[in-house]
Amino acid sequence: MAKSEHEHTSATTDGEQGEERDGALVGDGLTLSYPTSERPVVECDRIDIPRGEITALVGPNGSGKSTLLKSLAKQLTPDSGSVLLDGKTIQEYDDKEFARELGLLSQENESPGSLTVEELVYHGRYPHRGFFEQAGEEDHAAVERAIDLAGVDHLREKTLGNLSGGQKQLAWIAMVLAQDTDVLLLDEPTTFLDLHHQLRVMETVRQLNERRDVTVAVVLHDIAQAARFADYLIALKDGEVYDWGPPREVVTEDLLADVFRVEAAVNYTPDPEIVPKHSL
Amino acid sequence: MSGDAGTGRFAGGERLLGWVDATLVSVCLSSVLIVILGGLVQVSFGSYSMTLGQAWRAVLDTAVLFDPHWMLNFLLGEDLMRAVTGFRGELPELPTTTLIVWNIRLPRVFVAVLVGANLAISGAIFQAVTRNELASPYILGVSSGAGLAILLTLVVFSGLAPFLPLIAAFGGALAFLLVYVIAWQNGTSPVRLVLAGVIVSTVFQSLQTGLFFFADDLAVVQSAIAWTTGSLTGVDWEQVRLALPSTTLAVVLAVLGARQLNVLLLGEQTARSLGMSVERTRFMLSGVAILAASAAIAVAGIVGFVGLIVPHVVRNLVGSDYKRLTVGCLFVGPALMVVADVGARLALNPVQVPVGIVTGLIGGPYFLYLMRKQQNLGDV
Repeated sequence: MAKSEHEHTSATTDGEQGEERDGALVGDGLTLSYPTSERPVVECDRIDIPRGEITALVGPNGSGKSTLLKSLAKQLTPDSGSVLLDGKTIQEYDDKEFARELGLLSQENESPGSLTVEELVYHGRYPHRGFFEQAGEEDHAAVERAIDLAGVDHLREKTLGNLSGGQKQLAWIAMVLAQDTDVLLLDEPTTFLDLHHQLRVMETVRQLNERRDVTVAVVLHDIAQAARFADYLIALKDGEVYDWGPPREVVTEDLLADVFRVEAAVNYTPDPEIVPKHSL
Repeated sequence: MSGDAGTGRFAGGERLLGWVDATLVSVCLSSVLIVILGGLVQVSFGSYSMTLGQAWRAVLDTAVLFDPHWMLNFLLGEDLMRAVTGFRGELPELPTTTLIVWNIRLPRVFVAVLVGANLAISGAIFQAVTRNELASPYILGVSSGAGLAILLTLVVFSGLAPFLPLIAAFGGALAFLLVYVIAWQNGTSPVRLVLAGVIVSTVFQSLQTGLFFFADDLAVVQSAIAWTTGSLTGVDWEQVRLALPSTTLAVVLAVLGARQLNVLLLGEQTARSLGMSVERTRFMLSGVAILAASAAIAVAGIVGFVGLIVPHVVRNLVGSDYKRLTVGCLFVGPALMVVADVGARLALNPVQVPVGIVTGLIGGPYFLYLMRKQQNLGDV
C-alpha cells in the first residue's frame, strides 16, 4: 500500500513546512457553486480530511456541508481550487481508478425494488471489474466482507422493496464497503433512521475505520452524534469553515450559539455532551 | 430467487448464468411456444390453404432443412450463395407446399421475430437510459426520425433503397441527438427527454405527411403509408437478410450491456460514484437502442407500442434486473409481434391490415390497464 510511503514523505516535509497535516484528502482554495445558484455556496481556503481518522462535517442546514462533500467526491467540479487525493488532483484519476480509491454514499439513493441486497452489494464491485468481466474470487470475497461488516447477512436474499429504511441504508453501506476504498465519504447516512439503525450505521463506520484503517468523512446532521463518533470535526457556517479540530476543542457553547444558533450547555466528560436549551 | 439461496455463499446474481430463474425460463419457453403456434397458423392459412399437418411437414421438409444450398440461398441471397459455395446448377425442385411455406410465409414470421426482438430491447434500453418507463423508440423521436429518413429515400432518393437500414439508423440517431440536445440543460431529466421527444416526433411526423404530397404516384404513397404505420405485408427473405446482421449485433451488445444498465438504475449519482462515465455510457447504450430500433424500422416501418409495452410486461414478470429483462424481451417481443401479425394478415382475410394497427389496438388498452393499476407509472 502507498500509505506508509506517503507518511514517510509527509514526515520529511513536516520539518520544513511546519504545520503540514497528513491529509488523505485535501481541498485547496475551493469555491463551489451550482449552475442554478448565483453566489458560491462554499468558499474555503483549505480543508483536510486526515488519514486514517473519522472526520465529521457539521453545520446547520444550508451551510454547504453536502456541497463540500460532493466536490471532494468528484461529483461537483469546483469553480476554482482543487481537491487532492494522496497528493494527486482528483481530475488526474480516471473515473474507475478514482472509484477504487474513494467511495461515496449519497444522501438519497434510488433503490430498484426488485433488486436483492446481495445484487446491490455486487454493484459495489463495479470499479474493480472490466466492461465484460464476470465477478471473480476477489469480488466474492469483498462482497462477503462487506455484507459481514454491515451485518446484513440475514437480508442478502431480500429485495430492497421489502426492507425498512434502516435496513436499506445498511444495504447501501454494504455496497460502498464492497467498493473496498481507502477513503469513504458518507452524506448524512443516519438521517431519517431510528436510533437503533443510527447506531448500527455509525458502529459499522467505526469498525471499518479501526479494522481496515479507512479514512472516513461523514456529513452529520446531529452534532451530538458527531462529537461522539468522530475523531475530528469540521464545523461549517455559511459555506465557510468555522472551526476544525478534535471534538473536545471544537464543540463549545460559543460554537453552538454562533453556528447552530442554539443555546446549549456542554459538559466535558471528557467527551463533550450537549444539552440544548433553546434556539437563539 | 436463485437456486442456491439456502447455502448463502456466492449465491445468485453474479454466478455465470446464476441470474436465470424459473420465472424467466418459463417466460421464455411460453414465448417460444407462442411463436411456434403463431408461426404455424401463419404458414398454414392464406390464399393457398393447407392443413396444420401439411404446414408442419413443409416447415420440417428435409429437402430444404438439410440442403445447404437452399438454406444459404435464403440467408445470403442467391448471388452470394453461388459466390460462396461455387454452386452453378439449378436449386433442387421442391413440392408446392414447401415452396410456399419457405419462400413466402416463413420469412414473414422470421421478420416478425426480428422486429419484435429489436423493438423490445430498444425500448428496454431507452427506459433505463432515460430512467423513464414511458420511454420507447417511438416517444424519443427515433421512430419518426428513422421513418422520415426512409420516406425521403423512397420518395426522393429512390436509388439509395439498398441502404435502408443504414439510412434509417442515421435518421433515428439524428432525431435522438436532436431530442438530447433540446432536453440538455446541465444533464438531462426523464421528463425533459420525453417532452423533447414529443416535440421532435411531431415535427418529423408533419414532415413525413408533407412528403406524401411530393410523391408522384399512388403506389409510392401507399407504400409510404405502410412504412409509417408499420407493416409486414410482402416481406421476404431479403428483409430477413437486411435485418439479421444489425439485429445480431444489437442483441449481443444489449445482453453485454445489461450490467451497465443495472448500475444506471441505481441513479446517476451512485453510478458516477461507482466510477461509471454516466453520460458516455448512456450515449453508447442509446446507440445500441437506436441500432436495434432502426433494424426493425428498416424492414417493417414504424410499428408502435411494441417497444413500450414489451419491457413493461417482462418487468412485471421477471423484475427490473436488466440481465433477466433483456433476455425476457428477446423472447416476449417476438411472441407479441408474431401474434399481432397473425391478426394483421388473417383477421380480415383477404384484406391485410398493417401490423402496426394491431399492435396499437393491443398496446393501447394494455397501457391503459397499466396506468390504472400502477400508482407511480413513470419510474423505472
